[in-house]
Amino acid sequence: MNTVNLTVNGKPVSATIQPRTHLADFLRETLNLTGTHLGCEHGVCGACTLLVDGVPTRSCITFAVSCERAEVTTVEGLDNDEITRELRAAFSQEHGLQCGYCTPGMIVSARDVVQRMAAPSEHDVRVAMSGNLCRCTGYVGIVRAIQRVVEARRGRGIAAIPDGNRKRLGPSGSGHADPASVAETARPKAVSPAATKKPAKSSAPAPRKDTDWKPQTSFVQGFTVSHPVDVVWDFFGNIPEVASCLPGASLAGDPVDGHVEGQIKVKVGPISAEFLGVADVTRDDTTRTGTIDGSGKDKRSNSSTRGLIGYEVVPGANLDETRVNINIGFTLTGALAQFSRSGLVQDVAGRLIGAFVQNLEAKLSHKAAGGTGAAPVVAELDAGALVFSVIVSRFKALWAKMTGRGQ
Amino acid sequence: MKPVNFDYARPGEVSGALKLIADEGLTVKIVAGSQSLGPMLNMRLVQPDLLVDITGIEELRRFDERPDEIEFGACITHADIEDLRIPDVTCGALPSVARGIAYRAVRNRGTVGGSLTHADPSADWHSIMAALGAKVVLRGPAGERTIPVEDYMLGALEADLGPGEMLVSIKVPKLSRSARWGYYKSCRKTGEFAHAIGAFLADPDRGVIRVVIGATESRPIVITDAGNIIGDGRAERLDAAFDSHAVSEVIEAAGMTNPIDKQTHIVALGRALEQAQSA
Repeated sequence: MNTVNLTVNGKPVSATIQPRTHLADFLRETLNLTGTHLGCEHGVCGACTLLVDGVPTRSCITFAVSCERAEVTTVEGLDNDEITRELRAAFSQEHGLQCGYCTPGMIVSARDVVQRMAAPSEHDVRVAMSGNLCRCTGYVGIVRAIQRVVEARRGRGIAAIPDGNRKRLGPSGSGHADPASVAETARPKAVSPAATKKPAKSSAPAPRKDTDWKPQTSFVQGFTVSHPVDVVWDFFGNIPEVASCLPGASLAGDPVDGHVEGQIKVKVGPISAEFLGVADVTRDDTTRTGTIDGSGKDKRSNSSTRGLIGYEVVPGANLDETRVNINIGFTLTGALAQFSRSGLVQDVAGRLIGAFVQNLEAKLSHKAAGGTGAAPVVAELDAGALVFSVIVSRFKALWAKMTGRGQ
Repeated sequence: MKPVNFDYARPGEVSGALKLIADEGLTVKIVAGSQSLGPMLNMRLVQPDLLVDITGIEELRRFDERPDEIEFGACITHADIEDLRIPDVTCGALPSVARGIAYRAVRNRGTVGGSLTHADPSADWHSIMAALGAKVVLRGPAGERTIPVEDYMLGALEADLGPGEMLVSIKVPKLSRSARWGYYKSCRKTGEFAHAIGAFLADPDRGVIRVVIGATESRPIVITDAGNIIGDGRAERLDAAFDSHAVSEVIEAAGMTNPIDKQTHIVALGRALEQAQSA
């Protein structure tokens, strides 16, 4: 919880809130100022637009804590504002509202147009108001109302103020707080997840060139199986058998000279990604080391990954045990890359390997017991306990919005 | 549509921010204006343990004008540039592009550093900054490095930031008086992200002819020596010197093969040249 101090509609306000509380929620839920409306809650519809430090600001994507000591003016605080009074009359005369849901945001943005633009054409007004969506009257009345107020004010000799009287640099609402007093609000380090091993990231970020490609993130994993080194090493030479141990993986055909095509499905909570791709596999019998160099693309999330896996097979601590050390390096780009710093990929990789080892053990034991044919797959990837809960369709919608493209 | 619970810190110095983002045991996100990160947080696409608000850092809210360039902090907003609170050294290029970014309410909080680091291929700053030959200054545990802005985006939503590193400022070279520039973006709706961007700078007195094809699937295509595409930059009408076949080859070589995509981008560059601006 953080304490936030603001001036709202001229009155000082102080409250203890969660940092995740956006400004609109703070005003509506804590101060009961429900004139600020929430439509899309991701900065598209403009209904929540209000004034912070005197300039229009989206209150649904601005956190209350980040506006410490700022001046916030909601539609309730514009009752006696001269421009707003004229706009209210003009909206009424021009039929600029019907249900009224978009109106608080419309009024705030319209006020900005009237204040800043000297002689806007109808087109200029439409462009300037394009960040505020109305779903019932349409925009004709709204645009006319704004033009009427602009013309009336310029006719009375009131000049436009192009910068809206803002003189300060940086985001609206920022820069008022005493910086020294805030750093301690950070969570104590005790909560660091102890289980997450930190990636050994390469110190020099590599340019995206194929020849000297370096993974963005790499980490080391390992496991022990209770079978002799020779058996394990031989098994690893059989790519289809290895692939069948990896949950969600399937090959498109038989490998040719160590080159395989295939896919791997990774399900994490409600998100599922299906990476289609290719891999080149090499192995060195003398050192009992191998590499898998693969890349793939998940169409649904428009994400790509490239990975380099190195492994070595060495005798384990006990007789007839084998230790397999794995070095995984990868780069993830696209929408899913938002997760790549969170340790989540390692978490998924750790689970994949856990399931892989179980399947590997089962197969090797099956063979050792003289069994032929396919051993039953015992472990599926259980990622149900993973921490995040995102709905894929939202993910797709956001991706489409943020890139301006449909799928 | 509510973010996960996270902790919040607002350091007063860059060194304080670097200390906070160095903690690899936590998912730490730097936030400035929150106009890109905010929606992703609300949708829980991003679920940080700690948000480090860098807008309280005075160093990131300053600018420094020198004889040949202007350097401004990462937290300078689009509106700061649009309203000329940052002096224009680009014959109007940066204010003009700023005016076309999203909507005024977004421009009042969205920052140049945040947009560059978010690395959306469709965003405006990557393309125009690359056309102007701007550089970004990154600071981290190993000190400071300055790289061309076109090298900063590694791919969609991926910036060239090492562990514990952050963008602190942007350096934009001053254009000479003879310079001409153009910027055209193709958007389906005003203020939304672009499908295609064409940008160029012809500054023959400084020997600079640059062309950018932006809003691709990945990083912008930057042609730093674009004499073969738009000539030496001294022609009266630059669109008359435009070699669309040459640019088509470059676009194809960069991996864009879809004919509609390719044509949209060529047309965007053509229109940028038609609408060439000068001081």
